[in-house]
Amino acid sequence: MSKSSSPRLTNDSVSIYKWKLLFPLILILFVILVFPLGYSLWLAFHDFSIIDPDSNRFVGIAQFQKVLTNPMYWTVMKNTFLFVLIAVSVEVILGVLIALALSKQRILKNFTRAIILAPMFVTPIAVGLMFRFILNNQLGFIPAFLAKFNISIDFFGSNYTLLTLALIDVWQWTPFIILMILAGLESLPQDPFEAAYVEGANKLTVFLKITLPLLKPVLLVAILIRSLDALKVFEYVYAITKGGPGTSTETLQFYIHKLGFGYYRLSEAAAVSWTVVVIIMIGLIIMLKSSKKESS
Amino acid sequence: MNSYQKETFLFKTVRILFIWISILTVLIPFIWVILSSFKSPSDLSDATNVFFTPILKNWINVFNSGIPINFINSFIVAFITILISLIVGLPAAYSISKFKTGGNFTKLGILIAEVVPSATLVVPIFLASYYLEINGSILPVIFAHLTFIIPIITWFLIGFFDAVPNSLEEQALIDGCTRFGALIKIIIPQVLPGVGAASIFGFVLSWNDMFYALILGGENTQTLPMAIAGFNTFRGVQLGEMSVAILVSAIPTIILSFFIQKRLIKMMGGGAIKE
Repeated sequence: MSKSSSPRLTNDSVSIYKWKLLFPLILILFVILVFPLGYSLWLAFHDFSIIDPDSNRFVGIAQFQKVLTNPMYWTVMKNTFLFVLIAVSVEVILGVLIALALSKQRILKNFTRAIILAPMFVTPIAVGLMFRFILNNQLGFIPAFLAKFNISIDFFGSNYTLLTLALIDVWQWTPFIILMILAGLESLPQDPFEAAYVEGANKLTVFLKITLPLLKPVLLVAILIRSLDALKVFEYVYAITKGGPGTSTETLQFYIHKLGFGYYRLSEAAAVSWTVVVIIMIGLIIMLKSSKKESS
Repeated sequence: MNSYQKETFLFKTVRILFIWISILTVLIPFIWVILSSFKSPSDLSDATNVFFTPILKNWINVFNSGIPINFINSFIVAFITILISLIVGLPAAYSISKFKTGGNFTKLGILIAEVVPSATLVVPIFLASYYLEINGSILPVIFAHLTFIIPIITWFLIGFFDAVPNSLEEQALIDGCTRFGALIKIIIPQVLPGVGAASIFGFVLSWNDMFYALILGGENTQTLPMAIAGFNTFRGVQLGEMSVAILVSAIPTIILSFFIQKRLIKMMGGGAIKE
């Protein structure tokens, strides 16, 4: 990893030069991230009103108490985590299988990959609207197709809506898992596979005992990135359900958007968003710790 | 192919079938939208009909609407975002890769910057732009896009600089180049293909964002995702036009993705996974 620097490169001017190069990034990250985060934290501990911004007062953890005692918050949390759980698990299983299938392919390799990876490059609002109509009972071709076999599913009925949204997420984001696993597969060492072959191990054993353990670090990163992203699901809800039927698809990002920019309860929105920050940080720490254990 | 990688006939058949199902699952929704974009309102009500007289009315309507302006807005926002990201990201990534500036602390900082949720940032950015009276312009949208695009581009660039051999720079210094001159003339050209791929990736991320654009953008500065969402309110009647709008937004990013696909796999392998 570390590069040996020649004597020419290690002098005093370098120690200033390297910070000069880094400085613009530090400065801009400070302006675009540290300042907004501080401001947001300030809002979460105050009672801020956009109509009368000067009347704000420090309320301590009152906003957080209000948020955490609101049953709606817990409904939103349950919906969001259910969505993430369903979407990410299906994506991981399908993603690994498709990546394995693609990695053995020789003919039309790039063309096939380009098509299969395409959904992740489309703006999510377009995907949401696309499926809203594809699955629509009057206009969509899937219900029309199923009707020919006398099957009738109300994809946006109260029982299935969250599941439908999760499956739309699967359509769009399984390619991301495929991409990560393909990258992981290409950097795998060949020796263990040859050894297993010499010993006459069958395919399933090789997959379970060698491929999967070697892919574990990549898989963990992919799951983490995808979960953090799925936590922010917004466009599908905005395009298709607006949180309904009832509150069955009210998810975090949509809820915060509604609190902040529907009702302009900006302090409450900030407080909810900080509970998300805490959850993300816990997830990140667990990830970093487990990857450290792995490498030591 | 090594001998141990040989597949049985059954295995190969299942695998190819599986790939075909995946391809069809991806393609059929796109094909349906393409067909819908050429259908008249009466043809649209028959979802499974693939034999119809194609009309161009939807496309003409969309191109006479505000969509071209939204397209330009999206382009400007993404372009400026990438430009700023490269200006600060390139020297910083070089410094981190070459001199390990700030050690793990810097890398951890970039990682944390990448995972800060948009919902936390959008409220303060909204208020700040309100007080600065720039709300409704493209400035707050660009500002917000920088928050997630700078960290990811810098992360990828670190991986590219890591792959450049040290000897190249040393040779340039011996030949009398200044250090900064060597960076501009020798090192940057080496990573240029990677910079291109990372820029395209960042461009797509900015182009596709709706959350920030919805909250921070204004009536006159709507980007494409916002414009597409606008067709939603009219429901079935505007399905044809909406299909066109979906295609107008999706086609450029899908074409761009073809160019970076191979390199993206390498980028993920080099940057995201190793750390």
